[in-house]
Formats: sequence, structure tokens, C-alpha cells
Amino acid sequence: MPESILPLAAVLTSAVAVVLIVASYRRPNIREGWSVLAALTQFGIVLSMLPGVLDGTVYEWSLQRSLGVEFLAGIDFVLRADLLGLLFALLASFLWIFTSFYATGYMRGLDEHDQTRFFAAFAASLSSAVGIAFAGNLVTIFVFYELLSLVTYPLVAHDGDREARIAGRKYIAYTFFGGGVILLAGTVMVYWLTSQTGTATTAFESGGIGALAEGAATDPTAAQITFYLLITGFAVKAAVMPLHSWLADAMVAPTPVSGLLHAVAVVKSGAFGIARVILEVYGPETIRDLPLSVPGIGEVGLNVPLAILAAFTLTTASIIALRKDHLKRRLAYSTTAQLSYIVLGLSMLHPYAILGALFHIPAHAFAKLTLFFCAGSIHVETHTDYINDMAGIGKRMPLTMSAFTVGAAGMAGMPLIAGFVSKFYMLLGAGYVGGEYWLFAAALLLSGVLNIAYFWPVVYTAFFESEDRHDAKPLLEFPAGGIRQFAGDELATDGGKRDEETELNSDDDSGAGVDSEADYEYAVDRYPSDADVPGGPGGSPAEGDANSSVKTGPETAGTGHDHGHAVAHDDQHHGGPPAGGWTRHSPLTESTWLMLGPIVVIATGAVVLGVIPGHAAFLDLATEIVTSVFDANSLEQLRGPLSAALEVSTQ
Amino acid sequence: MSNVDFLLPLLVAVPMLLSTVPIVLGLRFDRTGWSVAALTTTALVAATTALANAVYATGPVSHKLGGWNPAYGIELVLDEFSALIAVLVAVTAAGVLAYTRVGGPRGNTFYSGYLLLTGGLLGISVTGDVFNLFVFLEIVGLATYAMIASGDGPESAVAALKYLILGTVGASMYLIGVGLIFMATGTLNMGVLAEVLPAAVERDPTLVRAGFAFIFVGFSMKVAQWPLHTWQPDAYQHAPDGVTPVIAAVVSTAYAYAFGRLLYSVFGPEFLTSTPYLTELVVTVGCVSVVAGSVLAVIQTDVKRMFAFSSVSQFGLIVAAYGLVTESAFVGATIHLVGHAVIKAGLFAAAGVIAISYDARTVDEYAGLADEHPLVAGMMALLLISLIGIPPSAGFVGKWYIALGAVEAQLWPVAIVVLFSTLMTLAYSARLLEKMYFTPATPLEAPHAPESVATDGGEDGGDTETAAGADAANDGAAGTRGGTETAALDAITANGDRNTVSYGMLALVVAAALLAISLGFAGGFLAGLLDPSFITEVFN
Repeated sequence: MPESILPLAAVLTSAVAVVLIVASYRRPNIREGWSVLAALTQFGIVLSMLPGVLDGTVYEWSLQRSLGVEFLAGIDFVLRADLLGLLFALLASFLWIFTSFYATGYMRGLDEHDQTRFFAAFAASLSSAVGIAFAGNLVTIFVFYELLSLVTYPLVAHDGDREARIAGRKYIAYTFFGGGVILLAGTVMVYWLTSQTGTATTAFESGGIGALAEGAATDPTAAQITFYLLITGFAVKAAVMPLHSWLADAMVAPTPVSGLLHAVAVVKSGAFGIARVILEVYGPETIRDLPLSVPGIGEVGLNVPLAILAAFTLTTASIIALRKDHLKRRLAYSTTAQLSYIVLGLSMLHPYAILGALFHIPAHAFAKLTLFFCAGSIHVETHTDYINDMAGIGKRMPLTMSAFTVGAAGMAGMPLIAGFVSKFYMLLGAGYVGGEYWLFAAALLLSGVLNIAYFWPVVYTAFFESEDRHDAKPLLEFPAGGIRQFAGDELATDGGKRDEETELNSDDDSGAGVDSEADYEYAVDRYPSDADVPGGPGGSPAEGDANSSVKTGPETAGTGHDHGHAVAHDDQHHGGPPAGGWTRHSPLTESTWLMLGPIVVIATGAVVLGVIPGHAAFLDLATEIVTSVFDANSLEQLRGPLSAALEVSTQ
Repeated sequence: MSNVDFLLPLLVAVPMLLSTVPIVLGLRFDRTGWSVAALTTTALVAATTALANAVYATGPVSHKLGGWNPAYGIELVLDEFSALIAVLVAVTAAGVLAYTRVGGPRGNTFYSGYLLLTGGLLGISVTGDVFNLFVFLEIVGLATYAMIASGDGPESAVAALKYLILGTVGASMYLIGVGLIFMATGTLNMGVLAEVLPAAVERDPTLVRAGFAFIFVGFSMKVAQWPLHTWQPDAYQHAPDGVTPVIAAVVSTAYAYAFGRLLYSVFGPEFLTSTPYLTELVVTVGCVSVVAGSVLAVIQTDVKRMFAFSSVSQFGLIVAAYGLVTESAFVGATIHLVGHAVIKAGLFAAAGVIAISYDARTVDEYAGLADEHPLVAGMMALLLISLIGIPPSAGFVGKWYIALGAVEAQLWPVAIVVLFSTLMTLAYSARLLEKMYFTPATPLEAPHAPESVATDGGEDGGDTETAAGADAANDGAAGTRGGTETAALDAITANGDRNTVSYGMLALVVAAALLAISLGFAGGFLAGLLDPSFITEVFN
């Protein structure tokens, strides 16, 4: 195992960039230049390790061996670039290059405040994400996992208004609960369990830590609890239900953050951590050997509850996404669902399912980043956040909406786009295992259908409807179960009980009364939390204040009322088409190339991964990971049921 | 044995003797106190470092006072455990002087008290005699009461009085405990006690246990464990800003060290584990303090008071770790003692700087601080992050070992409290972080812009007076915000440079923050200081 400074260099590149970014805060061009330069350098360093790693080399840097500093008694601080780590690091650093261009365009397009803090925290996030990728043991991964929570907090709370602060609070509460409490508990337990049977260790080993397997044999209950502690710790960031709700709230962050961090780096670090736990801490074999005995059902594998939870999450999140009118929120629930694909694939334990799950990490990243970039671009150019306002927007932003279509197809798992390949392997895996696992296959297929159900309306309304003539969106604009118009009228007339709210509502309606749809109850009205998501002019502090003053109660009703009215009025007009309808733009003039360029590149990437996955490094990496975990020579050996695949490993 | 042991009595005697010098010189010169204190503490840093080097190279250093046999005379000992604390005390005492040079109380008498305090604290760290320990506890207590009372305004006097009463009760409890132990064994030397106690326990378990109970309650009061913590928030809040870092960083730490010393070197792990309900009680007190301290910290409005409750919670962790009686937990407690001291010194110094330059003392007044004072706010953020225990930082290392100890002891409820303490610390720390970075300053803060204070300079007498008068009037109109009276008082006395932030203060804050982070990489090193020699001696 060669001693190498390269993994450390990759982590430090963006950490150094943080310093440079802060130092050049007076000169925005130089500052953003550092971001791009650091991204390119980081990607270069990671890429330079790719050939070696594919040949079986592991680049390792250890604090103890290089500087003689012992991080904790008996625990080294290790950064090692192995197959799995490189998969994640390659993805994050590659996408960061384009995100830094896009972020420049986005932040300048909106003339955001505190841009230095934003870019510095962004670079720090990448540093931590690559650190997570290269961490060589549980303690090291914990260090970076915590740091990632910390440095992404300023990005979530970036707007500095009440909404953003509350989202920020929720964010750190969830992530530190997952990291600082649960994951740390799991790490301590692993250290303790391994110390029972030999030298205490937390270092990852392909196929599982040997000492842990022995410890698990002597104390299965503790080993099972430890497994779920580790998984729960990582599942918080992977937004597995019921720990998912921070993700949708975190969408108050600027879109580049939602895109790269809350669809790729942060959430994938959770999925990646689960992969480490399943593949290199416990190993599929140990997990299979630790069955839970559930009263009434008998023994089930340790992985099955996790798989059920993942299957539940991906179905439920897709259904919730159907009813989200705010585009970024819809994407957030889509992310929640897609992350559970990865978790489900990993927890099915079959090599093919794991292969599909690992490939889904880049596949989802490319497609989802495209979608977020499109949403951000629409926001910057037209200040439109709600799908309801997007009728005919294909005229205004043809290229963006085309890219959006590609990304959406990828999400749904259409052939020729990246998402298809990963889902294909996961279905294969479920099929090889057979039995009850067909249910998981069914959930995957159902979720594909739901994906189409919530993405198609966006594409349809953008290209095939026009701003003055468009249909109502059945799932958004009508209450579940149909319109209860009479009931609604009666309630309105007997007023007086909740006059504050009623008054405001009626005002809203009269503000919107110019158009014929005033009678409908908008999803936005029904779910104020959904509408309150700021993200642009709607999220400017002034408006946040006005909103909160409305809510402060009767004593401010006089003034607050007027404000509320004005805001409600604004809301009708700042999003959606301008007075004369969308102006037609050519793909070349619809937005700044700082944003269009990244969109085109990432969307192309998604297609490349779908058409020639074998030539794009990621599938090779995933295949190598699976064969090394199962100790096989090639993927073909691993066909057949799970027990046969595990036999291969013991030979 | 090396010949550095002559330094041991000097560690105690020199600062105590020199504490009279500022008063004597004060008859003739105005400002000699600081220089005397600076020289003394620098010398103490050198002496403790030399001693610590000797200890870690060749083993414990001891000195028999007056050549008396330890069984009757007083012995001073520096071993692997106390060397850490002695160095910490000396370094903190020297470091905080950088703050008080410009910002702190500056009378000659103050520095007399300061040196007395330093001497007492070093005495606690090096003494090997349980009665002598009581003497030093009292010396430290008296010096601390005086220093707290030197704050402006009547609250300081009240806080000092409260501390005086409760602190003395605590020390008396300890003394009663020592009396009972002496009855049971006939000796006061710690080393001898450790040898004869097992026999005494067999002879008369009740006597020894009663002695332990008194000692435990006494120290719970001194270390400020819930519900005996009530003196601490007042004392920390109303002490002068320059004094709080010392008190928070080393006074409670020295008490907690003394408690640990008694538990492990005198009573010994065997007594702890074999006495029914003893460890359970210690652990429970610690855990309850962790929870209660955090909850109370969350609801505070005054920043210094919030940090004070945070200390209750952090020392709860340490006491709980003592009660676990495993090697890892003990290492964790020691590391957390050091780490927490560094962090708290930095935090209180930062709070002082902010109070001086920004006139902000409550959490709400910290709004928008990051824009006004990026350096102090940044350092405070780093310190808070260390306190939460986000790696790599001093707070994390301590927590790792304590959590590991709890798991090794298989006391799952303790493990849960220790791990959840992260979230509880987060609750109050994040509140402050959010205020500093993500809450825009409200116009209310405007009258206290630093510029207007700086113009008070004191060059032109007449001008200053009118300006101060106007300021005071403004303050009166501004209402009853915390700290208003002191601000007005400052303005009236027109003590200009009292309101300036010196490089020394900033250096102290920055040094504490960097130290707190770099200690995060010293987990193995610190454990290595204790592990082979001291731990095996105690636990086997």
C-alpha cells in the first residue's frame, strides 16, 4: 500500500481555496477564479489516481505515519483513495467544476449578499465531501461528516431571514443528531466490539472488518444495534424516512447549494456512508449471518428492515412530490425518493443490486443536478418558482426546458439516460434473489411510473400549454377527493370565528380576482408552508418581515393587513409570465452562458452515462467494487441467488 | 529522581509571597501590579513546564516539606495527572494577563489577589495531603471572592457574598469528610491513605463511607453540580470580564481535578466499585447536571450566564466520567478538564471583548456581530464549535473517551446522556452562532457604535464630560437593557482606554481558539501522557 500524499492533497485543495476566497473578498472575479481553479485542481488530483486505483492500487495517507501524531489512542487519521472512495470523490469534484461556473452566474444574476461567505462555505463543503470519500476508518469519516454538517449550515441559512434561520436550525438539529449522536455512538460501539476479540479498530476492510465479524459472533445483539446505529447516522443525511424532512426545508438555500450539495455531495455522503457500512464495515456475509428474530414472522435478515424502509420512502416521497407546486420542493422529494433507490439497492445485498445502487450515485447526480440547474436558471431569469406559473415557459427558455426534460427522463429511468442503467441492475439483483424481493422490484417500477407522473406535468405545461390557456393541474389545484365548493362557501359566510385568517384569505382572493380562476383553491393557499419557501424576491427579508407581521396577531392587524395584501398581490405577479406573455427567446439568448454551459454539460453527461456507461469510468469503478467485496474475478460469477454469490467470496 | 523537586514548594510559595509586592509598591507607584504578576506567572510557566518535562521523562516528582516524614508532614507531589493541571493553571494565569493589561481590573490590590489565586491553584495541583488541600481550597476561595467582588456595581458584591457562603459550606463539608477519614485511618497523606484505607473500610465501612459522602457533597458544591450550582452563574456573570476567564477556566477545573485525585488516588477504584450505589450516585449527579445545565443554558439571555450554565453541564460530563471508573473514562475526564478550560477561557475572553467594543451582553444584542467584528465572531464560533464537540477539536477528544468509557462500562443510560450532550450543547451554541451570523443587527444597537465610544478618549476634559452626559442620557432613554448602567458608569468616569480592545485581548482569544482546535489532534498524545504509567498504577 503506497504512502501517498494525493488523497490529502485532494482534500486540502478546496480547504486552501477557502482561505484564498476569503482573502480576495474585495475582488469577485479573482474570488470566483479560485473556486474554479480549486475545482479543476481537485478533479485533476482525483483523476490522476483513477488508473492506479482501477489497477488495484490504494493510495493512503496517514497522520501517524507521516507526522507521528496519534489522532486518538489506537485510532489513526487515515485518508485512502480506494475504489469506493474514488467513485464518490470523482463525482463530487467533477460536478463542482461546473457548479462553480453556475454558482457565479446564479449569485450574480440575483445580486445576492454575502457572496464571499457563500463561496467559502461551498469550497469547504467540497473539501469535507472529498474527505468523506477518502476517509479510511469510521472515526475519520465521522470527522468529515460532522464538518460537512457544519460548513453547509451557512449555506442553508444563507438568506438570513426568519424562514432560512428556521430551516437552518432544523438542518443542524437533524444532521448533528445523525452525526454527533447516532453515528458517534455507532463508531464507539464498533471500537468496543472489536476490542472484545482482538485489537480495537475502526478501519474499513473490503468485505467487512474481520475483528467485527468475530465480535458480532460473540455478541450478536450489540452488533445488530451497532449496525442500525451506523445506518441511522448515515440515513439522516441520505434523507431516509422518517428522517427526511430537513431536506425539503433546506431548499431555501440558493439553488447551486440545493443542486450540488443537497442532491449530490451532502445527501450522497449519507448514501455513501451506508455503502461503506454495508460493504466494508460489516460486509454482506456478516449482515446475512446476523438475522433478527421478529416475533410472528421468524428470522429476517438484518438488511430487510432497511430495505423495507427504503422501499417505503421511495414510494411515499414520490407520492408527496406529486402534490408539491414549488418546483424545488418537488425536486427535493424526488431526491428523497431517488436516494432510497441507492439505499434499497445496497440493502438487498445482492451483487447486482449493489452494482446498480453504486452506479445510481453518479446517475442520479447528473440527472438531478441538471434539474436543479434548470430550476435555478428559471428562477434567475423569470423569478418563477411555482409549476403553476410555468405554462408556456418553453418559449422563453427552450434550451433549459429541454435539458429539464432529459433530466426528468433520467429520473424516471428511461432507456438511454443514466437512470435506466442503474435501475436495470437493481431489478436484476432483486430478480436473482427472488422471493419477497419481487416486492422491492415492484416498488422500483411503481416509483418509475410516479416519477413520470410528477415530472411530465412540468414538461407538458412548459412546452404544450400557453400562458393564457392552460389546464388546471388536478393534483395541485383541487383538494384531494374533489372540490367541496358548497361546503367552502358556507364556511366562508359564517365567518367570525377565525376572522383574521378569513379576512386575509378573502383579500388574497380579491387580489387574484381579476382572473377567472379565483374560485379554485390553490395548492399554495391550502399549504402555506409550501408557498412560504423563499428563494428569490419572494424570499427577500423585506417580504419575510411583512409576512411575519401579518402573523403577529390582532394588535398589528391594521398595518399588517395592508402589507399582507400588498405581498399577496406581489406574489401573483412576480412569478409567472410577464404581462404580455413569455417573450420568445432562442437557446442562445435565454440566459447567461455561465448557467447554460453547465446545464448543457451536465445533461450531456447524464446521456453519456446512459448510452455508453462502460466508457465513462463510473460503471467500471462500481463493477470493481462489487467484485472485490465479493472476492470474485468477474461479474458473471456472481449471477444467481445471494447465497451462491456469497459462496464465491468464501472460496 | 531528578533534582527539580525544589521547584515544587516554590510553585506555591513564590506567587503567594510576591502577592504582597504590588501592595507594597503601590504605596509609591501607581501601576506595578500587572508587571509583577506578569513576571511571576511567566516564571511559573517556565517552572511548571520544566517540572512537567521531568515528570513525563522520569516519573513523579515529590518533595517533603521541611524534611518531615510523609506520614506526618506535608508532601508535595507532581505526577502525570497533576502536571497537566499545573501547566494549565500557570499558562492560563499568564495568558489572561494579556487581557487584563488594558481591559481588566487594574488596581494593585487586584493583582495581589490574582497572584494569591494562582498560588492557591498551583497548591491544589501539587499537594499530596488532604488537609493541606483544604487550606488551598480556602485560599483559592478567598482570592476568588475578592476578585468577583471587584466588579462594578452591587450585583458583583451580592454574587461574591453568595459564592462566599456556598463556597465555604462546600469547603467545610470537605473538611468534615477529611476529619472522618482521619478518624478512620490516622493519616492525612494521600499516598499513605491509599494504602491504609482498604483496611479501614473493612474495620469500619460506615465511617469511611460517611467521610466520602461529605467529601462528595463538598466537591459537588465546589465544582457546581446541579442542584448545588447556584453560586456559579451569578459569580461568572457579575465578575469583571477580565476575571471570568481565569475563574471559569482554572478554578472549577482545579476543584474538579482535586475531586478526581481524591477519588482515584485516595479512595481508589476498588473502593468506588465495591461500595454499593456509590458509582451510581456519582454518575447520576453528573448526568443530571449535564442535562440541567444545558437546559438552563438554553433559556438564558445573558451570554456570560449562558456560558456559566454550560460549565455546569460540561463539569457534569467530567463527574459522570469519574463515576464510570474505567480507564478510557478517566482519560476522557482529564482531557475534557484541559480542553474545557481552554475553550471556556477563550469564550469568556471573547465575551469580554465583545462587551467592551460592542456593548453587547445578551444573546439578542449579539445580532449582526459577525459583520462588525469578524475576527472575534469567527474565533467565538470556532470556540463554540469546539465546545459542541465537532471534530477535530478539544471538545470532541474528551467526549470520545468519555463515551468510550461509558460503553466499556456498559452503562447505557450514561452513554446516551454523554452522546446526547452534543445536541444539548448545540442548542445553546447554535443560538449564539445564528444570532452572530444570520440575524441582521437591529437599529437598537446603533447608539453604541464603537466610534462614539472611542471619541470619549479623555484628551479634552470638557468635551468628554458633555459627551458622557449625553451618552448617559441616551442610555437612560434607551431603557433597561442589560449592561446599560455599567456603560453609563464607564462613560461618566470617562476612562477612555477602558473601552478599547487591545491586541493582547485579541491574541488571547485567537490563541485559545487555535489551541482548542489543535488539541483536537492531540487525543493520542494526551492519552499517552497518562496512559502507561499513571493509569496502570491507579487501575491495577
